[in-house]
Amino acid sequence: MKHYDVLVIGGGIAGISAAKALDGLKVLLVEKSDRLGGILNQCLHRGFGKDMTGPEYISGILSDFPENINVALKTAVTDITPQKTATLRHENSTEEISFSELILATGCMERPTGHMLIAGSRPEGVYTAGQVQEMINIHGIIPPSPAVILGSGDIGLIVAKHLFENNVEVTIVEIKDQLGGLARNRMWLEGYDVKIMINTTVKKILGEESINGVVLTDGTHIPAKTLIAATGLIPDREILKYKNYPFEIHICGNCKEVFPMVEGVARDAERAANAAIENIRRNNDR
Amino acid sequence: MKKYDSVVIGGGVLGAFVLRSLRRYDISCILLEASGDIAGGITRANTAIVYTASDNRPGSLKAEMAKRANENFHELCNDLGVRFSRCGSLMVSFGEKGDEVLRKKLIQGEENGVRGMKIISGSEAKMLQPLLSENVTTALYSPMTGTVNPWELTIAAFENAVQNGAQAKMNAKVIDIIPTDEGYEVKTENDVFFAKTVFNCAGLEADKIHSLVSNDGIRLSIDGADFIVFDKYAPKPDMIIFHETENGKGITAVPTVEGNLIVDSPPREADNSFDTTSEGLDYIIENLNKVLPELDTKRIIRSFGALRPNPHKPDGRSIHSFCIENPSPGFYSLIGIKTPGLTCADEIGKYLAGFAVEYLSAKINEDFDPVRKTGDHIGGEIICLCENITKGEIISAIKRGAKDIHGIKRRTGALMGKCQGSRCSIKIKKILEEYNETL
Repeated sequence: MKHYDVLVIGGGIAGISAAKALDGLKVLLVEKSDRLGGILNQCLHRGFGKDMTGPEYISGILSDFPENINVALKTAVTDITPQKTATLRHENSTEEISFSELILATGCMERPTGHMLIAGSRPEGVYTAGQVQEMINIHGIIPPSPAVILGSGDIGLIVAKHLFENNVEVTIVEIKDQLGGLARNRMWLEGYDVKIMINTTVKKILGEESINGVVLTDGTHIPAKTLIAATGLIPDREILKYKNYPFEIHICGNCKEVFPMVEGVARDAERAANAAIENIRRNNDR
Repeated sequence: MKKYDSVVIGGGVLGAFVLRSLRRYDISCILLEASGDIAGGITRANTAIVYTASDNRPGSLKAEMAKRANENFHELCNDLGVRFSRCGSLMVSFGEKGDEVLRKKLIQGEENGVRGMKIISGSEAKMLQPLLSENVTTALYSPMTGTVNPWELTIAAFENAVQNGAQAKMNAKVIDIIPTDEGYEVKTENDVFFAKTVFNCAGLEADKIHSLVSNDGIRLSIDGADFIVFDKYAPKPDMIIFHETENGKGITAVPTVEGNLIVDSPPREADNSFDTTSEGLDYIIENLNKVLPELDTKRIIRSFGALRPNPHKPDGRSIHSFCIENPSPGFYSLIGIKTPGLTCADEIGKYLAGFAVEYLSAKINEDFDPVRKTGDHIGGEIICLCENITKGEIISAIKRGAKDIHGIKRRTGALMGKCQGSRCSIKIKKILEEYNETL
């Protein structure tokens, strides 16, 4: 069984930043997709570092990525045992490895649309904000107009801007009495023709094959060919299931808590890396 | 015109098992499915329960079939390579009327030969399932109840039937059936199939298909139910919980083979669509609070609607037994086969194949192999991050007949995780497009 000083799970900004801070140790960085960078790969808005897009930010951070860090792409960690071993799955084969320290950098996911228990049909044209971002930025597909965006956090606002700039008529529906999100993401709305409805939410989805409208709690009917749920991010730590591990797991980045800025993720990952280094040093001294 | 011994109309769980059962004999057969894929109608939305016979009148066909089916279910799923969990069930009541229903079910179940049932107190039930409410007065424990994924079972039975020589045609909606001297001409928009025997397993359309050859006036009324789904990581009961209110059936909570918990509402009116209703969803949440108050509703990831066809006589009276009709020689209709239809699908398939064998004087198919062969998974990039489903597995699902993301979901389990496809559905649609372009 191969042994690593540190196993880092997740190849987004948190995992990359942690791995870089571990230079000199025997590190394995595991990523499920075929490239590093995580969700930033689909973020083309200039919201990272010094006015950079997600991919620009990633290439910056990867430009001095140490060569001696082992990176396993297209690989999933399917189990972590209390004995500090992990099962990796790659293609059709599985491999057991052991580790001294574990850094979890698995990011977050969007709360699924289904969580909201909206009544009605389940037609085509209902997406989460992240899906729309992927459609526009990666595949160049603009969802049909008009669109209703449910939720006004940062992601909802960013997607609203994307859509508006692509000539999609946008209505934002927010259950609270004011818009959410960072001020810089809210600012552009002034002077833009985006309809905003507060203190209400979507109660029912209409349409058979494809969506043709939504009904709000007060009964208002809004025509819509696209419904986008932007109702929040939840940390993804499901790999730990509800097991109790007899060792410290360094949880960092968005799988610990959802950070508003990428720099916060990177700093938190470096903190986790330093904690792992400290544990290794202490065990060596013993 | 293509000639067959049997045409099976409808690619739901019943059609799949009738088709497979016919291939136990030397009967040439084809399944015609109106849509582009199997298991996409009422089969896809179901409580997923493998019942014992405790709900059925002693001596009835349902009781007889349910008992045998339940006992054989493990072997069936083993043959087909399908997950089955004999998780057991607790039917819980909250007052005297409910307690009485439970006692009657026990007597009925024992009369039907259901093994291991017993009545326990509310506090004993809570010891078995700590998430249950303290207000449970009585519970009926039944260790033989189980759960299976209905579409997984259907696809497996269908694939095994095809491996044993059955044929199938998708996008083949039956528009007319003409009786002839030797059998039936079954017409679809583009084809005519001749068959000596016809098996109408058309689900929501079964009464319409039946009326093409019969004037008996049996018709369907459709009701529905709402369901919610909890993610796999929610603390949950590990047995099926049937909730008996003081006024009849309440919610049912089922820990599925995938590890989720699904909870349904009692039957409600439906307008022939799979839409969910606010009333049904609210009912579930309200009653979960009474039955399993500690469940974490933050872990709800999905809701869906189900439909159930109920057979009626022309005068409106309900038909309570399995409605299996033989309106003309060699023509068999399954009209509104509801609970325990999923449990009994294999039994019903064998029962109908029995008629065909007699009618056609068919011989046993010595080459029939009940074991489904499953392809090797192929790797590649992990597309579904929640369930770790690879690109190779998705392509293999397309080769096995998946036409859209729903077909991929039913064949691989992709899109069923906690993110419900928000991280992979666009990628999967791209893979489908790319694959279809290479054809």
